[in-house]
Amino acid sequence: MRQIFAVYKREIGLYFRSPVAYAIAFALLLFFGLLFSNSISTGNGQAPADSVNFVPNLLTFLLFLVGPLLTMRLLAEETREGTLEVLMTLPMRESQFIIGKFLAVWTYYTVVLLLTVIYHIILTSIGTPDAGRAFTMYLGAWLYGGAVLAVTMIWSAVTEDQIVAAFLGAATVLVLYLAEVAASWFANLPNQSDASGLTNFVRELGLQAHYEATLLQGIIRLEDILYFVFVIIAALFITTRIVEVRRWRS
Amino acid sequence: MIEVQNLVKKYGPVTAVKGISFTAQPGQVTGFLGPNGAGKTTTMRMLTGFLPPTAGKATVAGHDVFENSLEVRKRVGYLPESVPLYRDMTALAYLMYVGEIRGVAKRRDKAFEVLERVALAHRADSRIRTLSKGMRQRVGLASTLLHDPDVLILDEPTIGLDPLQVLELRELVRELGKRHTVLFSTHILSEAEQVCDSVVIINQGEIIAQGAPVELRGMLEQGGRVLLRVNVPLENALPIIQGMSEVAHAEISGDSIVATPVNPTSDPRPAIARAIVQQGWDLVELRPLAVNLEEIFLELTRRQAAANGEQSEAAPDVTETESEVSS
Repeated sequence: MRQIFAVYKREIGLYFRSPVAYAIAFALLLFFGLLFSNSISTGNGQAPADSVNFVPNLLTFLLFLVGPLLTMRLLAEETREGTLEVLMTLPMRESQFIIGKFLAVWTYYTVVLLLTVIYHIILTSIGTPDAGRAFTMYLGAWLYGGAVLAVTMIWSAVTEDQIVAAFLGAATVLVLYLAEVAASWFANLPNQSDASGLTNFVRELGLQAHYEATLLQGIIRLEDILYFVFVIIAALFITTRIVEVRRWRS
Repeated sequence: MIEVQNLVKKYGPVTAVKGISFTAQPGQVTGFLGPNGAGKTTTMRMLTGFLPPTAGKATVAGHDVFENSLEVRKRVGYLPESVPLYRDMTALAYLMYVGEIRGVAKRRDKAFEVLERVALAHRADSRIRTLSKGMRQRVGLASTLLHDPDVLILDEPTIGLDPLQVLELRELVRELGKRHTVLFSTHILSEAEQVCDSVVIINQGEIIAQGAPVELRGMLEQGGRVLLRVNVPLENALPIIQGMSEVAHAEISGDSIVATPVNPTSDPRPAIARAIVQQGWDLVELRPLAVNLEEIFLELTRRQAAANGEQSEAAPDVTETESEVSS
């Protein structure tokens, strides 16, 4: 626990001192601000229905870019600089080190996510959006972000090259995001009866199936929460194993 | 205390460490000596639990490095060769960070104490990237001392330092050796001779000699050989020396003549000096051929190469048997 906290503190300090982290937050908020104001001002005085979920929906989509940018550094840099060798000869388990890193990046994401709550406050001032739904949207976006960050962090453990880690991370998240599309492609295969099991399986693997139709609409299902928690734990476990194996082979 | 028994490390088909055994005693600096690529770093990484051994056993500070890695890590301070540090942190912040992971009590006091020991307290608040190479080396060393480790493992800590820093660091290592078990690797032979109480010489993954520097010197019986330099062509001087009754054998070695006396215990130098002066030549240098680690090392690696050469002649049979087994 002490080790996790030490790693977490150092890493969170890095995020909040690093210009890159501020640049990412700035770019995101600027982008949201422009699109959001556009979205609510085109409705002739009436906010279009999708204004309510506009920001969380867009944020979860943009995570395929933002996630890899935030996590590419985490382990790749430690490996390249050789600091991993020192850390792994301290009395600390790989898992503690990786959990500390993950919690730090997830905290940074949480702060950015909380900053976007401002758009919901604006909506509240001009209308009466559903507060319960807002809660599930943001809870979902938070878990979604955790899952994306954990998955993209795997690539940071795989390669020392941050750019490679970022690209592979973006590709992985896009695949998970587009599982829905793949599923619908399977569903359109001529022989429907054979495909339905596969269709559902592919669909359920993806991130969107557990967010867009449920949490984003104000529906909390235990299976969706468990899905995100499972993805996070599985990704952290894989990352730990990769760090171990890479060290042992180095 | 470090005890190593038949430690082996293979990287795929390459065997980096071929079953070495040695012991490093507490209160001593044990030098781990060998050329680059001899397997020093690999061995040290195994001893610190960073790499798992392929075979064999190593006990550091009373715990098995593989089975009880975390216990070993608590008691070991390890400084890798490249001295990896977080450049964006200050020296103090880095030490506090390592101290926190290690669970050191009164971290701030302890961090200042170790900075004091490496004479860097005045740069505690400097960012590591602004420190010189020697200072970084000392920050790295300080970080290994935070938890008063039983065992210190230092991988070539004097590399890349200027001569004064090297002297300071050697002094510090000698000082640390009084309190801790220190395993100190180097490829500089004179350094091992100066700093270490005991030396393990490793080459191509095998230990080729171990013992105190004095013992190692005794290993190579030099038979009272002397080295001679004169200001005439050596070809002219050689027959004179060879013709002397006190000299059993003489040969040209570089820019000097090396003479082996008939009786190893008697000093042939007075007779040689007289002979040279009688010729009307000037004697430039005449001294006993002191054996230093350098020569021991060269001699031992020559012997090892010769032994391996004999093996490789018999090798075809061996590879045949191996391929049968693997197929």
